[in-house]
Amino acid sequence: MRAYQDMVFSTAVRLTGNPAQAEDISQEVFLRAYESFENLRSSPKAGGWLKTVATNLTLNHLTRHRKRWRLFSEVFSDDTREEELESAAAVFDTVVTELETDERCAIIEQTLERLPDHQRIPLVLYHYEEMPYQDIANRLGISLAKVKTDILRGRVAMAALLAPSGVGAPDDRRRSPSATRGAPL
Amino acid sequence: MSSRDQMDEKLERLVGQALRAQPPRRAPASLEGRVLREIAARARLPWWRRAMASWPLAVRIPVITACAICVPLVWIGSVWLAAHLVSVGTQPGIAGPLAAVRDVGQTIVSLGTVTGQVLHDIPRDWLVGGLIATATLYAALFALVALGYSLLYPRTDYSKARLT
Repeated sequence: MRAYQDMVFSTAVRLTGNPAQAEDISQEVFLRAYESFENLRSSPKAGGWLKTVATNLTLNHLTRHRKRWRLFSEVFSDDTREEELESAAAVFDTVVTELETDERCAIIEQTLERLPDHQRIPLVLYHYEEMPYQDIANRLGISLAKVKTDILRGRVAMAALLAPSGVGAPDDRRRSPSATRGAPL
Repeated sequence: MSSRDQMDEKLERLVGQALRAQPPRRAPASLEGRVLREIAARARLPWWRRAMASWPLAVRIPVITACAICVPLVWIGSVWLAAHLVSVGTQPGIAGPLAAVRDVGQTIVSLGTVTGQVLHDIPRDWLVGGLIATATLYAALFALVALGYSLLYPRTDYSKARLT
């Protein structure tokens, strides 16, 4: 369990954006693993099995609240301007190239948690779980166009949240990661 | 490709690079204890309060057999009850209030009689052949749907995914 608990918890917390819920889901994942212990004990696919169960349980958990965010975001249009994309790319370029690992990790995790569900979930499925757009659309029961739009907007929103923390700005403007709390999306 | 699309691709690449470089989040120290406590609590439950799959085989087999016996028993009992309701319903004193019950009983009896007569008149070979044909068609349809689904929606192999 110790070998996989960080992986299982990471999967759940990045999708839910809520550490308490992620801990509950992780517990359920390991209880199911315990029930299948005889099959998993010597299986080289135990890690993959745990990741799949963690992803499915988390998505099932989130599905209970899905109507809320689907309702508000089903009316959409991809109106992101080129300047916004350019600005967001500049912020992430700075994140990747200039920030120290520890600082980068903390800032990114905090930023991810602050994204709204309808942007964070497809973004995490696409970038962390490496699911294709179509699979995400099928799994979440939304249109392919909406998945693409939400992921794009999620990236831009992440950059907008990262910017107030000083990423991509001169050093004298840089603030602590906690300063990103309360910044508008 | 337009400059907007190029910028979109660049952003996707940079975000992917930033996110995939993230180490796994550390699980709370309390998680392991919670799981072990829950396993211990479940182990203390008596067998009849656990899932049926974990019941002893000596219990599971009689329960499944009893369930299988119950189905025809319920059918026979329903027909018997309906027949008695019909006879009770015809008595003058209670015919009025039980008229609806009597009608329902007569309907069930009629259905049972018709079904029994139809089954009796169909040759046994035809019945067996029909059942086999139905099962074969069902299996073929199931396989076709499964094949189509797996071709249209190929499943991601998470066992090869990075364990981050």
